[in-house]
Formats: sequence, C-alpha cells, structure tokens
Amino acid sequence: MTLTAFILQQDAAQAVDTLGKAADTKWKALSQMPQSTTIIQDMASHDLIFIVLGVTLIIWLILLFFIIRVDRKVSQLEEKQNQTEFQNQESPL
Amino acid sequence: MTAVIIAGFLIPIPDIPILQQSARNLFFHVPMWFTMTVLFLIGLFYSIRYLNDQTLDMDLKAVSANAVGVVFGICGLFTGSLWARFTWGTWWTFSEPKMNMSAMALMIYVAYFVLRSAFNDPDKRAKMSAVYNVFAASTIPFLIYIIPRQLPSLHPGASGNPAFSDMTAPVMRFVFYPAIIGFIGLAIWMRDILLRYMKLRSATENTI
Repeated sequence: MTLTAFILQQDAAQAVDTLGKAADTKWKALSQMPQSTTIIQDMASHDLIFIVLGVTLIIWLILLFFIIRVDRKVSQLEEKQNQTEFQNQESPL
Repeated sequence: MTAVIIAGFLIPIPDIPILQQSARNLFFHVPMWFTMTVLFLIGLFYSIRYLNDQTLDMDLKAVSANAVGVVFGICGLFTGSLWARFTWGTWWTFSEPKMNMSAMALMIYVAYFVLRSAFNDPDKRAKMSAVYNVFAASTIPFLIYIIPRQLPSLHPGASGNPAFSDMTAPVMRFVFYPAIIGFIGLAIWMRDILLRYMKLRSATENTI
C-alpha cells in the first residue's frame, strides 16, 4: 500500500518535471517535413544549405538595421549642429 | 581587423560539408553568443570603473557595449530558432534550457535599457544603471553557461567544454576560430561607432 503510494508519487513528480529530460532523444525534424508547408519543405532540401543562408541573412539584416539606425541618429545630430551654427552666425548681425 | 572579418565570411564557402550542410551554421550562430558574452564583459568592466571614479565617459562606454551585446544576442536567438526548426522540428521549445535561459538573459539586459530610460538626470541614471549592470552581468554565466549544462538537452555542447569537444571537427576549427575573432572584432568596431555617437550627443546636449 505504502509502496504503491510512493510509486504513484514518484510518477507524479516525473510528470511534473518537464525540465528533467530533453524533449526528445532524437532530432526528428526531417521526419516531420512531409506535413509542413511547401516553403519549409523547399528550405529543407539540398542538405539544409538554405538554413545556413537564412542564418547569415538574419545576422546581416539585424546588423544592417542597427547600423542604419545609428546612421540616422548621426544625421539628426548633424542637422542640429548645422542649425545651431546657422543661429550663431546670424546672432552677431 | 577588417581582414579577419572578411576571412570569417569568405572561408566557409570552400569548407567541406559535415553530415548536413547546416553544420556550417557553427560559424555564424555560435560566435554570436561568444561575442555577446565578450561585450557584456566589457560593459561590466566599464560599469565597475564608473562606480570607481564616477565619470560619465565610463557610463557611455558601458552602455554602448551592452547595446551592441543585446544586438548580437538577438541575432543568436533568431538564428538558433531557425536552426532548431530544421533540426529539432520546432521554432521554440520550453524543455530546452539553453534557449529559454538565453532569452531570459536578454530580457534582463532589455530591463537595463528600460531602467536607463526612467531617469532624466545623467548622473543618477549612470549610477543606477551601473549598479544594475553589475547584477545583470553576474547572472550571465549562470543563465547561459552553468544551468544549461546541469540539465539534459538536445543542444550540442550541453556537457563538457563545447568549444573544444570532439563535436567540433578539426577542419571546422580553422574557420570557426577566425569567425569568432572576426565577429568580436566587428562588434568592437560597432561599439566604437556607437560610443562616438553617444559622446557627440552628450557634448552637443551640454552646449545647446
């Protein structure tokens, strides 16, 4: 009686513990591919080389976005600078 | 430094494929996290220096390093998500400690910028954010390097030392190490540009 209760408790603990084990022991993405959309199927072709392309594109786009943002900020600063210089030139007159 | 960056991008093309071509992602996904860690370390260093001598210059240096670090962290997260879709079959899984812990680490750093935006007085803002940054940086080794290794996971490199284990084939190391150096160099350059902008802005704000 106490033994079964203990086992039940252990089972419950294992059921709750989602972090204790990995989601699956195998990488099963390729077996799932037939059910997915055509875009994902196309990307999975050619030995997954398009994933490498996607990964590099993500990095490139994020870095580009960051650089463009800094560029815009610098232009704003330059505009401000020009305006103050303009005012400084006018004020003596 | 530029030569190293160019090499980091060009060398992968003639490299031999291992298992699946997506193994090449090692050159792009993994250095993101290395770079992020390096930048957060730089941020920590300058935050501590700010707390020592209270010059706003140090504060700007810390902020610029953290900002670029977050950018690289986001890169790492998105590339990891895409890679996971095609190797593990899902964009995101909550039973994967490395994924969730790194997302959490990024949120801690986003909170750093939220905290900064809450102060108008530059001295107060610098002091608060420096203190917070020391806390934030101290969570990084635990969230990204210790906890995921204690838990079983699909993520390669979950046990032992990922950079030097046998999963990294010797051929790939010739590209992998320059890629790490290249990305870190790129990040430091980006940080420098951001820092120069921030210095200019604070200088103009004082004069106007």
